[in-house]
Amino acid sequence: MKKEVWFGLTIMALVVLSAFVLLPAPADMSNGHLGLLMLALVVVAIMLGFPTAFTLMGMGMIFAWIAYRSSNPDLAVQQTLDLMVQRAFSVMSNDVLISIPLFVFMGYLIERANLIEKLFKSMHLAMARVPGSLAVATIVTCAIFATATGIVGAVVTLMGLLALPAMLRAGYSVQLSAGAITAGGCLGILIPPSVMLIVYGATAGVSVVKLYAGAFFPGIMLATLYVLYVIIIAKIKPSMAPPMSAEDRIVPLPAFAQVVSKDISNNVLPGLIGAIKGKRNAAVPMRDLLNHLVIALLPLLAVAAIMGTIYLKVTAPLPVETVEGVVAMGGELADSADAEEETSNVGGLAEPEADGLQTPPGSTEVAKAEAAPAAEPAKADAPGSASSAVTVAAETPATDAERLPAPLSFWIGLASCAVALALFYAYFSFARLEIFKMLLGSFFPLALMILAVLGTIVFGLATPTEAAAMGSLGGLLLAAAYRRLNYVVLRESVYLTAKTSAMVCWLFVGSSIFSAAFALLGGQEIINTWVLGMDLTPVQFMILAQVVIFLLGWPLEWTEIIVIFMPIFIPLLPHFGIDPLFFGLLVALNLQTAFLSPPVAMAAFYLKGVSPPHVTLNQIFAGMMPFMAIQVFAIVLLYMFPAIGMWLPEVLYK
Amino acid sequence: MQNLLLFIDKVSTWIGQFFSWLIVALTFMISWEVFSRYVLDSPHAWAFDVMSMMYGSLFMMAGAYTLSKNGHVRGDVLYGFFPPRLQAWLDLTLYILFFIPGVVALAYAGYGFAADSWAINEHSNVTADGPPIYPFKTILPIAGAFLLAQGLVEIVRCIVCIRQGEWPKRGDDVDEVDVAKLKEMVNVKDEDIAKLGELVAAKGNQK
Repeated sequence: MKKEVWFGLTIMALVVLSAFVLLPAPADMSNGHLGLLMLALVVVAIMLGFPTAFTLMGMGMIFAWIAYRSSNPDLAVQQTLDLMVQRAFSVMSNDVLISIPLFVFMGYLIERANLIEKLFKSMHLAMARVPGSLAVATIVTCAIFATATGIVGAVVTLMGLLALPAMLRAGYSVQLSAGAITAGGCLGILIPPSVMLIVYGATAGVSVVKLYAGAFFPGIMLATLYVLYVIIIAKIKPSMAPPMSAEDRIVPLPAFAQVVSKDISNNVLPGLIGAIKGKRNAAVPMRDLLNHLVIALLPLLAVAAIMGTIYLKVTAPLPVETVEGVVAMGGELADSADAEEETSNVGGLAEPEADGLQTPPGSTEVAKAEAAPAAEPAKADAPGSASSAVTVAAETPATDAERLPAPLSFWIGLASCAVALALFYAYFSFARLEIFKMLLGSFFPLALMILAVLGTIVFGLATPTEAAAMGSLGGLLLAAAYRRLNYVVLRESVYLTAKTSAMVCWLFVGSSIFSAAFALLGGQEIINTWVLGMDLTPVQFMILAQVVIFLLGWPLEWTEIIVIFMPIFIPLLPHFGIDPLFFGLLVALNLQTAFLSPPVAMAAFYLKGVSPPHVTLNQIFAGMMPFMAIQVFAIVLLYMFPAIGMWLPEVLYK
Repeated sequence: MQNLLLFIDKVSTWIGQFFSWLIVALTFMISWEVFSRYVLDSPHAWAFDVMSMMYGSLFMMAGAYTLSKNGHVRGDVLYGFFPPRLQAWLDLTLYILFFIPGVVALAYAGYGFAADSWAINEHSNVTADGPPIYPFKTILPIAGAFLLAQGLVEIVRCIVCIRQGEWPKRGDDVDEVDVAKLKEMVNVKDEDIAKLGELVAAKGNQK
């Protein structure tokens, strides 16, 4: 027998044993005790490996019948049948769960658009200067891709095929490489839009919109912590993550760029403009020059457009938020980036393109999320180098003469944006233009899509369902844009969506029948009195709850933990004055560890499936350990500073 | 007998795949509704009901399909390590103990539920003048019946496995993580992985 079997059998034996010890003798068992017995039995039954949805349904039915029979034997059968059908129908017409198939569909489509290879390469080049650049690029790629798709298995497998060979060839240690891939791949279930938060919201009756707003920063925080860890390791032990060699960093330039950078200027703007004006390079096609000039000016145009919108919003007679939070957040996130990027990050709040080069995935979003309530007029003093933007800018204020004057903070924001842009263009060489073009083809479409979906949900422009549908449509367009949309791809995505949704939603049917039976038996009351009888402080209760969930993460999957056990924890929360929203964020962070805890971590097995034979499962597990520690640290951080998660929902939905 | 079982398997798959396409319809319908509401300024009162009907039918009717492809989540901490015969015995017992009673009850109760709805010509009360809801409620017993039929097929599979000592093959279907396909997508070949393995081994020896 393998050790995993012993491990599982031990857990099972423990559950049965504790049920025997804790419950009274069968003769004086009350209905409530039957409820507890049912709970113990269901854990054992799930571990036996039968499809959980039907285990729950069958067991729920049997115990519901027992509960009804104890009050009125004649009606018991009819009442049980009614209960089952009512519960099933309520899942069928649930207006929260409806977004699950849509988000899943979006995920499969994006996965099949095959952006990940480009994304990884461009991230890798863009981060060449960061210590441990390959591992950092891996985590960032995983985070973005996993967020957009939400499919852990596929992300880990793909990164195992792309990033693992790259890292091993560059001399990274097996442990660090494996840890970065598995930990990064699991971020998708935490960072919204994630299916896990929808399931939690539907179970706990918490608004999915608030959960999305709340989980955003903890997700970013976790990703940032991973990145920081990798950078620190690379600094302390360069043998585990050697820096990139100079020749790997060279970006091949297209022919015209070589000419221009040699003859005129290596800086993009003067180079291109010089080449267009003076006819010194007849060999260089004008079209290339113009095209690249437009691309080079994109960040500027984006800033101008965003600021223009914000200016119009802000100067309209509406209450306005201050910018302070923005700057603080930007600074925090920029820690990982080098000095140059830091400037552009703090300053360039409304400048996603420039930021994206070296900062964690979310910073773009931070920028947007913050910038919207903040302000920005002042195109007027946009950097002089940008003639086109100045024209755009000059027009906006002119047409709105009667608007409110913009607050000082907007002008400060604008000035910092201008400085950031100036710096950006000062360092904008042709090599960087190439990297920028690669990012434009991989990073920005994904980031924009995530932002658009999340933004509309969080700012209340659309319901999660509507945003999910638009996201699916976006996924279709994205796949089409990358010429990956054909009948086979569409058909596969459709079938997979149906299977995944059926799996989650049938589980919901089963669990709602089960939890109804549990409530009927009065098991909840026994647990309530028992927990309250322990006279815990809120902190102790939180620790207890999180430890229980952590332990459950071994034998069970996150879906099962949420649908079976959350209904038990949620009614206890008001006694301790804990916000179910905050609890949900902690649980979501906690369940991350379930994916990384040996010996059952799914992520490890997916990675093992595509790694070379010399990479052992034990090495992968060892690599995941530090990342698991970081997750626990993140839970503690979130608990100590609830504002990390609660700030955004509180600001938005007071 | 054998043919009948294969036939049921095929029917479940076909029905499930047919209803899967609702996701595309759902995507376009909601997108259109959003467009219609925000841009054309003409929301439709029936949109909400139709949305939930599409979603409900989608996942209910895909239940049997998912079962036939072994797609329902199971706790496989232990299960995965058991020999096939033991797996089959466990499954067989639990199919009879939990699955059959549960799904029979659901389908039977669903029949009464839908029949009542037809009898009173029930319409949705989410909005005034809502669309009829009895066809949607009829999905419940139908899905239950298909699920039950597929469950019987699964039971026979268990028996075959107990007799032969290995699981009979399931029909081919698309997998969530299809390693071969993913490899092809990112142009990685098995030789590359093998070469990499040698590289790692070589480095390990140097240390």
